[in-house]
Amino acid sequence: MKNMTIKTSLTALTLAMGLGAAQQASAANWLMLQGTEPAGSAPRAKLWGFVQAQYQKDFSDSFGAGEVYIPPKLIGPNLETQDQFNVNRARIGVRGSNFPLDSKTNYFVLIEMGRNGITNHGDAFAKVTDASVTFNHIPGARVRVGLFKNPGPEEGLQAIHVFDYINFTTVTNQLMLERYPVAGYTNAPAQSIPGADFNKIGNSVGAFRDTGIQVFDTFKSGSWETAYAVKIGNGSGLEITDNDNNKDVYLYLSTEKVYGGKGGRREGWKFFAWSQSGKRIDPNNTANEYDRKRYGVGTKYLKKPFRVSAEYMKGKGMIFQGPHRPGHMFNDLEASGWYVEGGWYIPKTKLEIDLRYDSYTREENHPTSVAGDESRYKTATIGMQYHFNKKTRLNMEYSNRNYESDTTAVNNQYEGVKGRFAIQVTAIF
Amino acid sequence: MKSLKNWLMLALLALSLGLSAQAMADKASKPFAEKRVVLQISDPNPFKQTLVLNVANNLLKHYGPDKVDIEIVAFGPGLRLLFADNANKGRIKRLVENGGVRFSACSNTIRNMGKKLGHPPVLNPNAVKVSAGVVRILDLVDQGYVLIKP
Repeated sequence: MKNMTIKTSLTALTLAMGLGAAQQASAANWLMLQGTEPAGSAPRAKLWGFVQAQYQKDFSDSFGAGEVYIPPKLIGPNLETQDQFNVNRARIGVRGSNFPLDSKTNYFVLIEMGRNGITNHGDAFAKVTDASVTFNHIPGARVRVGLFKNPGPEEGLQAIHVFDYINFTTVTNQLMLERYPVAGYTNAPAQSIPGADFNKIGNSVGAFRDTGIQVFDTFKSGSWETAYAVKIGNGSGLEITDNDNNKDVYLYLSTEKVYGGKGGRREGWKFFAWSQSGKRIDPNNTANEYDRKRYGVGTKYLKKPFRVSAEYMKGKGMIFQGPHRPGHMFNDLEASGWYVEGGWYIPKTKLEIDLRYDSYTREENHPTSVAGDESRYKTATIGMQYHFNKKTRLNMEYSNRNYESDTTAVNNQYEGVKGRFAIQVTAIF
Repeated sequence: MKSLKNWLMLALLALSLGLSAQAMADKASKPFAEKRVVLQISDPNPFKQTLVLNVANNLLKHYGPDKVDIEIVAFGPGLRLLFADNANKGRIKRLVENGGVRFSACSNTIRNMGKKLGHPPVLNPNAVKVSAGVVRILDLVDQGYVLIKP
């Protein structure tokens, strides 16, 4: 299986190298925006970052005589209350061309100091989320090494400070935002608040990142840009070091009709496909090894005043069962989901209206699995953004959630899952 | 001794003829120009690269390509603007082709950067080497060019 994966990687790489005959692009997509600097005009060290402060309220009902809750009814990352203010993200970083006379090397460092799934475990003051160096010596095959984002789903790969919503779709949150339980983990039952203790994972979320090496580049042909990435990583998220001999393989291919603009909100119509595959070891039973496979295809169209995007994702193995049930996530189950969303930038105003619908099916085709029967999660979100200026905006959203499970005990709790309101300010510097 | 004197005289004559010819050539490229501007880029800040190109573009738009004569002189850290792989190479090409803008690269800086790099920097094909950026600016000012350092 590993040989086959490497073969697939090489085929993709060869295909992408073939595209090298086309003219090289400068910086135009997430791979390039995050992994490269503009040649000859990058600073030695550019200080940058952003702050996201938010308030969220969950309207879900408790269940049973003990008025107990489950994680989807509480506000993360602490999962102790149904409404709270939070500084969700406070990131500061430095990037640039370390030796400005030589455009062939650049670096990227970013540290998280907000309170979220990255920092919540162990009450970490800060955690490094990115630390990478890119070598641009080989035409058509740039090489990036270190800790950085994995080529993958749009919600994970894109810069989070230009994300058009506050909360991820359920499919991205559950299927793609990987959790890493530590040895000695235990499950937790539904609990009452205050005092609930649901975080049983023990490590930071993966934050769609991994430590490894990536070969990538982008090629321009007329108004079309085609990008590829092949990454091999530890499969250990933000933990940087590896805990086994297995390596993850990440593949990504995109092509985009570029309409104009630049940066994270460049206008264009992008089509992309990706895959991720690796193995995970159960830290409570290191003899047990599980495949983790993820695939996805999607598209994103942005030409103001309209934006439309959609993505389908599928996964097998290591299907997340909630932060309170790490004991069930070492599995060979299947899951899939999709989302479609759109935005309308109201002309001559600073307002933007966003609509999103996402669907996620967990334990697909496994009605008698140990982790429970099939569960379905459907969420409709209406959002609004007010852009004070290019670097500062206010997001507001309300999500109507409809969760159901074929397992009666789980479904009893899911029936009480209701709407969630969130408001967030983002300031980029 | 006499022979050396003759050679020196000849060299000075050639130099002055060369400079005169260069000065004539500077102005000859835009014979109908009503404004003559030399833009200096010597700053390491990448934003200044964008700014100096914007200024050149705005001058061309305001006066028209035939009515304004622009030369951008790069030296010191500003020479990066004229590196062959600079992200602004497309804009430089358009300014040369559509606006007749000239780009001068300081040879002293090229030499010094070459020592740090281990090889001479590869320059934009539109860049013309001059002996020293600051001397080039002084010469242009003497010819009536207005110096602007954005």
